[in-house]
Amino acid sequence: MTAERSLEGWAPVIGEGVTLEEVVDHAFDYRGDVTVVTADGREIVGYVYTRDPDAAEPFLKLFEPAGASLTLRYAEVRAIRFTGKDAAAGKSYEAWLRRKHEGAAPAAS
Amino acid sequence: MSVPVSQMWTVATYVLKQRLRGRRRYPLVLMLEPLFRCNLACAGCGKIQYPAHILKRHLTVEQCLAAVEECGAPMVSIPGGEPLMYPDIGRLVKELVARRKYVYLCTNALLLKEKLAEGLFQPSKYLSFSVHMDGLRQEHDEAVCREGVYDEAVEAIREAVRRGFRVTTNSTLFEGVDPGRMREFFDTMMALGVEGMMVSPGYSYSKAPDQEHFLRRQRAHELFRAMLARPKRAWRFNQSPLFLQFLMGKQDFECTPWGNPTYNLFGWQRPCYLLQEGYAATFEELMARTRWEAYGRKSGNPKCRDCMVHCGYEPTAVDHTFGSWRGFRDAVVATVTGRL
Repeated sequence: MTAERSLEGWAPVIGEGVTLEEVVDHAFDYRGDVTVVTADGREIVGYVYTRDPDAAEPFLKLFEPAGASLTLRYAEVRAIRFTGKDAAAGKSYEAWLRRKHEGAAPAAS
Repeated sequence: MSVPVSQMWTVATYVLKQRLRGRRRYPLVLMLEPLFRCNLACAGCGKIQYPAHILKRHLTVEQCLAAVEECGAPMVSIPGGEPLMYPDIGRLVKELVARRKYVYLCTNALLLKEKLAEGLFQPSKYLSFSVHMDGLRQEHDEAVCREGVYDEAVEAIREAVRRGFRVTTNSTLFEGVDPGRMREFFDTMMALGVEGMMVSPGYSYSKAPDQEHFLRRQRAHELFRAMLARPKRAWRFNQSPLFLQFLMGKQDFECTPWGNPTYNLFGWQRPCYLLQEGYAATFEELMARTRWEAYGRKSGNPKCRDCMVHCGYEPTAVDHTFGSWRGFRDAVVATVTGRL
């Protein structure tokens, strides 16, 4: 079973113990949607599927639920909130074994 | 070993060409993931934990073919997700076969009988159904977290074999596997008429639900030695004998993370099929801008320490076979004598 704690619901304040680069890395690693707040006040919901902190102008890319892929420069990002459900959380092997032993039908994705 | 001669020839000439060109890093198998959606949720799988809107997406056939062209590998493995849930799987396979790519369609086989009945595929030496089978009934159903899957897969294998398709199996092994049961499993698969089997230890995906049953390196060596000692003549493996020797601890290989590059909805996955540390927009960018020295056992990267998975080490074994006299000799001896 994964020992990692889910970041679901996390709303870090960039600069207070965590850098923008670290938050973007967490968002990339997170298996749920996030809400990106941009410097001009927009709130964009989507799944961060890649980022490049080493590019001349560091950027992240996300898929919006409606379909579009957006590229945002780190310089445009003011905050990231982990608002979507973490798809990797709460699906432990032990939980499956428990369901199995209780006689319930194991869930598929 | 059971890899057909034509496929072996294709791979051998491809590898030799790369070496003659002085190409130090080259791909051997493209891992093409047209979708992440699956009809199972296996405990050891870290591939499908995504929001619903990501699971609903898939690549177009044109995107898949462009990736195949860009990569240039002679073999294409189509995992996922479950590729039989990909709406254009028939057309994709047809196009790949027309390009003379050796295709391994990796499936849990739950939809296979239905797709065969629809006439979606034609038997070809270029197409093999690689059916996910993690052991006999009890072990497999436990690994895929659903009862009855083993029986459905066996039925589908029978049907595919009956229709003249190439069928192989792929088994991912975890801690707690009983070598005796696996030997029994090998007998069973051979009796079903599969062309060859593939085995590999599992990788501890950080996103996989089951983190406690992944094999550590020493334990993996012990398990594979017990399982593959005195292999029966009837057993056929669809993989390099040197890779099997590596699993048994008889060969010391380093990982070749660029050997099986992965392309999916997000782009070219960096650095390998298992680790997901970013995506490149092009294959060229993947090869040129990935810090390859940061991966593999020698790098000291803890994520690579216990990994012995075929996507990293099978390319090493193949390169060793065709890149050194010793490797070639070891592979020939193992193939001719059947001894590992």
